[in-house]
Amino acid sequence: MKKKRHLILLFAVIAALGWGMFVLSRSNDKIDENEMVMYSAISSKPDSLDPATESSVTSEIIVKHIYDTLYDYDYLKRPYVVVPVLAESMPDVSADGLTCIIKIKKGLFFSDDGCFKDGKGRELTVNDVIYSWKRIANIKNLSPSWWVFDERIVGLDEFREYTKTCALASDIDYSREVEGLKAIDDYALQVRLKKAWPHMVYNLTKGATTAVAKEAVDYYGKTIVNHPIGTGPYILKQWNKESYIELERNPKYNYGYYPTEGEDGDFEKGLLADAGKKIPFIDRVYFVKIEEEPPSWFLFLKGKLDSSYIPKDNFDQAISDGKKLTPEMKKRGIELKMYRLPDTSWIGFNMDDPIVGNNKPLRQAISHILDKKRFIDLFANGTLDEAFGLIPPIMQSYNEELSKTPSYNVAKAKELMEQAKKIYGGDIPELTLKMPGTSVSERQYGQFFQKEFDKIGLKLNIDYLDAPMYFAELNKGQFQMYFGGVSSSAPIAYNILRMFHSKSIQSGNHFYYRNEEFDRTFDKASIMVDCPERTELYRKCEKILLDDCVAVFIFHSVSYTLSHSWVENDKPSALQYGLARFIKIDSAKRRSYQAQY
Amino acid sequence: MAEERLQLEPIEGRSLWSDGIRKLKRRKLAVICFWIIMLYVAVACYVQAAQWSGDYWPANWDVSTGEKYESPSWKNFCGTDIFGYSILRKVVYGTKISLKVAFFASIISLLIGIPLGATAGYFGGLVDEIITWVYSTLSSIPYILLILAFALVLKDKTFMGAKLAGATTVYLAIGLTSWVDICRLIRGEVLKHKQKEYVFAARSYGCSNLRIIFVHLLPNFFHIVIISFSLRFMSFIHAEVILSFLGLGEKNSPSWGAMIDSARLDLPKGYWWEMTAATLAILVISLALNIFGDALRDSLDPKLKAKG
Repeated sequence: MKKKRHLILLFAVIAALGWGMFVLSRSNDKIDENEMVMYSAISSKPDSLDPATESSVTSEIIVKHIYDTLYDYDYLKRPYVVVPVLAESMPDVSADGLTCIIKIKKGLFFSDDGCFKDGKGRELTVNDVIYSWKRIANIKNLSPSWWVFDERIVGLDEFREYTKTCALASDIDYSREVEGLKAIDDYALQVRLKKAWPHMVYNLTKGATTAVAKEAVDYYGKTIVNHPIGTGPYILKQWNKESYIELERNPKYNYGYYPTEGEDGDFEKGLLADAGKKIPFIDRVYFVKIEEEPPSWFLFLKGKLDSSYIPKDNFDQAISDGKKLTPEMKKRGIELKMYRLPDTSWIGFNMDDPIVGNNKPLRQAISHILDKKRFIDLFANGTLDEAFGLIPPIMQSYNEELSKTPSYNVAKAKELMEQAKKIYGGDIPELTLKMPGTSVSERQYGQFFQKEFDKIGLKLNIDYLDAPMYFAELNKGQFQMYFGGVSSSAPIAYNILRMFHSKSIQSGNHFYYRNEEFDRTFDKASIMVDCPERTELYRKCEKILLDDCVAVFIFHSVSYTLSHSWVENDKPSALQYGLARFIKIDSAKRRSYQAQY
Repeated sequence: MAEERLQLEPIEGRSLWSDGIRKLKRRKLAVICFWIIMLYVAVACYVQAAQWSGDYWPANWDVSTGEKYESPSWKNFCGTDIFGYSILRKVVYGTKISLKVAFFASIISLLIGIPLGATAGYFGGLVDEIITWVYSTLSSIPYILLILAFALVLKDKTFMGAKLAGATTVYLAIGLTSWVDICRLIRGEVLKHKQKEYVFAARSYGCSNLRIIFVHLLPNFFHIVIISFSLRFMSFIHAEVILSFLGLGEKNSPSWGAMIDSARLDLPKGYWWEMTAATLAILVISLALNIFGDALRDSLDPKLKAKG
């Protein structure tokens, strides 16, 4: 059987493999053996390397290696903690939460480039930060990251309105004052906010909010998307759009150090062996574009890529007995890394629907008949986290108490169904569930749900829709139940709880859920800084949702990655992107593996 | 030559049909294929009857008969799928879907193609030009794309109070898009026959155009319709498989196309039995229909008879 699998794999990868091998061998030819080089795969080419206009994950990965942001997540600590990077310290926020001072480190320099005087990169100041944020506000740039600052900073929305009045991009005057953005001196930025924004630092970890030099934008014009000039640990050496991106160590990068603290167990795993040392360790990074999974997997097994996620088709080859590496992988010295993602998937109820919306026992009955553990075993080999509530375990507000009362209880569901029938006034008619896709996976999920509903005599019709139709029906409220979920870009419950706020009905609240107590509690928590009281309020919000049974929360995702034994200090992250700076490569070990396999 | 003729025994006159059937019976392979087709039809009818009369085998395909992905064994002859459902039961159930779709799609295409083709050929002139323009336009669009477009448009629409979904959408989409070939064929035959003496005779007796077309003309080339039906039946089964594979077919019950689509993800993991079972089911019926259709054409086509 294994032979057959390998044969199929070989046929599928052969064309792409040829190209990948060619690219990698060419890049190998140029490499000094003493250099520390890392090879990583990207599944698509970056849409832009200009922080203001980039939007894809691939772009964010590259941008965050070249540009540093004011803040970022700690590499080792879990739960995720935000730490200063370009900033000297965490923001100094006034008592009313409306003014904050961000100080940046002194002596940070842009990398050398022809756009600067004499080709020497100049020092970074807060004026670069102000200029970069104005670029995001500039309507002419069509920045996909404008949502970060929308209705946040005093005067920035007005600046955006002003850019609308300019006929040409070149007419825009960046020296025009924005009331809420003031450079106290070259190293201190005062930000005045329209309302308290306690989650600001999480948003300032995004690559889009970094500092870009005006000289670079003026010099390169529209081609700035191909010429990233940052202060980060790497500079762009070469970008062959259809094959690879080569990054080289930035000789001017002088402020990064490997973290000295981590989570429990990091020391034992050797992740603190380089604590306090200057980073980056790697001299050169290659991001090789490999669109298909089979060639990427094959190159990883050949030792041509240092790490890889596990394609669905190869999961059984890599993982056995739930969450352990197969003997084949162990023999190769491959290590398995798991990390949780900040997401939740559910079956949501339309609270405006006359059948499910007005019948809480019916919704509760449905929540008790779904065997989530079987769902996870069937469709993900048991590799997801069962959801007991909305907030995923990655977040600080996660409530472990909820896991003590498992929801699967068919007997209770049958009792609740009797109550549901009384409320409805007879047998419950066939219910409809909207599925976001028509592929095999969705059809298998649909079959599973139908069987589960059948346990209490509920007939379920599944409506498989393509993405535009699915969202159109959700937005119009033309449904009873839907299978969906949310993924947060920050480890804060705020991002996912806000979907249930009555004000979000036109912007994400597809449950059409209105609850004054929930709104009040959420509003109170959303302007608080991180503290135990806020955590309790978020948990209270979650409890209200569970009591009202607005949705059946099914699972939280867990990601699995593999890395070779020569990759040191490797700790994958769900939220951080510029990770090559922390990694070390044992090139001799890699050569020995490549010779063997 | 004249003497040879005198030595011949008198032959009893036989119609085209009885002659054709007699010839068909002589072809052993065609007879075997006929019974294979009949077996599929019987299975499809049985599944439909089982569904109407109650929840018993094989209508209850959605019952676990083993663990997930069990390989073929005596207990589960064709193995099981991700839910532990029997693949054999799914194949049997899929027979009903495929044959139902192919049958109704054939009927719809014949009901559209024959009258249009006959009208165009018989009346000629502007009527012919309009019909020819319509089918030329339709045939210029790639067949699968056209079916896909129709299937998407018809999906979840309501027709006379009934919601169009699953197999109904599929056979409507196929039937409404595949009448062009039969229409063209019938038009050609009518053009050829309408100048013959028997048509002039019928007209001189005062028969109406409708009567001439359907009572006098059509029986003379109905064998073409039968041959076309048998050959097109197979292509409609394939079309159903393609539509189901693309997610536009039956959703809530198994069909061969849906099985192949689902098995696509299982194949790299080494679970080959669902793909094999569905493919074999399609292969056998396709082969049987092809061989039988060819034999039918050889037996009924007077031109081939003359050559032979």
